[in-house]
Amino acid sequence: MVTEMDQNVNIDDVDTKMEKKSLIHCTDVNVFYDDKQALFNVDLNINEKEVTSLIGPSGCGKSTFIRCLNRMNDVIETCSFNGSIIINGQDIYDPEIDVVELRAKIGMVFQKPNPFPKSVFDNVAYGPKLHGRFLNKSDMNNKVEDSLIKAGLWDEIKDRLNEPGTALSGGQQQRLCIARAIAVDPEIILMDEPCSALDPIATARIEELIDELKVNYTIVIVTHSMQQAARVSQRTAFFHLGNLIEVGDTEKIFRSPDNEQTEAYVTGRYG
Amino acid sequence: MSEHIVSSFDGELNEISDGIITMGALVLEALKRVETTFKNNDHNLAQEIIDSDAQINDLGQSVENKVFNILASRQPMANDLRLVFSAVKMALYLERCGDMCKGISKRIVKGALNEAESEDTINHLINMSIKVHSNLALVLDDYGNKNCQNALKVWRSDSEIDSLYSGVLTEILNAIKSNPDAINTLVPLLFIARYLERVGDQATNIAEETHFIVTGEDLTDEEKIQIENETTF
Ligand SMILES: Nc1ncnc2c1ncn2[C@@H]1O[C@H](COP(=O)(O)OP(=O)(O)OP(=O)(O)O)[C@@H](O)[C@H]1O
Ligand SMILES: [Mg+2]
Repeated sequence: MVTEMDQNVNIDDVDTKMEKKSLIHCTDVNVFYDDKQALFNVDLNINEKEVTSLIGPSGCGKSTFIRCLNRMNDVIETCSFNGSIIINGQDIYDPEIDVVELRAKIGMVFQKPNPFPKSVFDNVAYGPKLHGRFLNKSDMNNKVEDSLIKAGLWDEIKDRLNEPGTALSGGQQQRLCIARAIAVDPEIILMDEPCSALDPIATARIEELIDELKVNYTIVIVTHSMQQAARVSQRTAFFHLGNLIEVGDTEKIFRSPDNEQTEAYVTGRYG
Repeated sequence: MSEHIVSSFDGELNEISDGIITMGALVLEALKRVETTFKNNDHNLAQEIIDSDAQINDLGQSVENKVFNILASRQPMANDLRLVFSAVKMALYLERCGDMCKGISKRIVKGALNEAESEDTINHLINMSIKVHSNLALVLDDYGNKNCQNALKVWRSDSEIDSLYSGVLTEILNAIKSNPDAINTLVPLLFIARYLERVGDQATNIAEETHFIVTGEDLTDEEKIQIENETTF
């Protein structure tokens, strides 16, 4: 019998760390609220089908940055953007772009779970309906079930589909919001502190879910928990006062970052 | 590096590195005493070395407990994590050094030096212990100063200890060959030489740790091979 051990495999030849392709290219991103600048010349590439975390002290521009990625800042009147963000070869700030379509491709989950005041079912069905997909009833049922399964929520609430989404626990609501985002087949999921209102168990469920989702989706997550960034992400970007200070493999950022400010922040020395 | 926002965290980290520094000082003291007993064959002093090993072990245990607690309560990151993680290994290496000194002293109490055939062998053991002490002192200095300026140097000079060791080994083996009846009195000296050589190895381990703590990188195999090539003829 030939076992794996018998075969002459040279460990060095095995490409353990496959080069990831970057999906989102941000170049020279500057954002202002009125004339107050919130982001300065940010250049950042985000890899496909992995998790990138954004960390940094409060007010450093993490939310501002993540909102650039699906043009959520557009709804803030005072907010202006310059620079370029290319996703899949397409400049998302091109005036020709359909922003509604863009936001379907790039789902977002917020700090506070924000289910619509509708049934669990309708929360998930909302997106596909809005985008005019799955008009047929059984397709829609399948879509809702599938999204809830992917969000790790189906088994818990399959008998409660007609209850209001707001009646679920905080952790369930957050997974419902993830299901809602998934239902429109996004490529990218943005999460802005998705666990900050959750207890450790609900947090663990979300983290487990992020692990599963990264197989099919590109995920960007803002987090204030160093340990969460270390647990869930493959790359980490550290922001400070609107500048991207350092970005690299998460392991490297938490083991021996290059920049002193990064080190001060991740070790709790930032004053 | 500035202080933590939570100042008690600094206190806990300092307790860990102070524990290692104290262990190191005790090991160096034990080695110095070993050297003295080589010179005067003082069995009381040897017994003191044996007795003081417990203190090194206790300190090691206390460092381990502190590491355990700090991992659970603070989840240290980056340079803190490196310091905490390395402390466990440092404590282990230093405990081993203590054990070696104890082992040497036990042989001395049993009379290993009483009938030493040759003055030369004892002198060579003394030279070895001086060199080992010096290497250990260098890397422990680094640790205390939070740098690793001596790490590569110590890594390099371990080969000197190795060659001192093989010199002593050959000497003793030749003595045994020429006088097989002396085997019982000579074998303990072999052990003593071996123990010293192993303390020297711990100094290189500690050199690797200080390098890791300071740079976040392991000494690479290439670096090690390069040193070995430089120092092996
Ligand atoms: N709607 C807004 N109008 C005006 N200024 C804003 C607005 N949103 C954010 N800012 C400012 O932009 C800067 C970056 O804020 P942002 O919310 O992006 O930070 P953050 O890193 O997400 O902080 P936190 O960790 O507290 O969520 C801050 O100075 C903030 O006051
Ligand atoms: Mg924010």
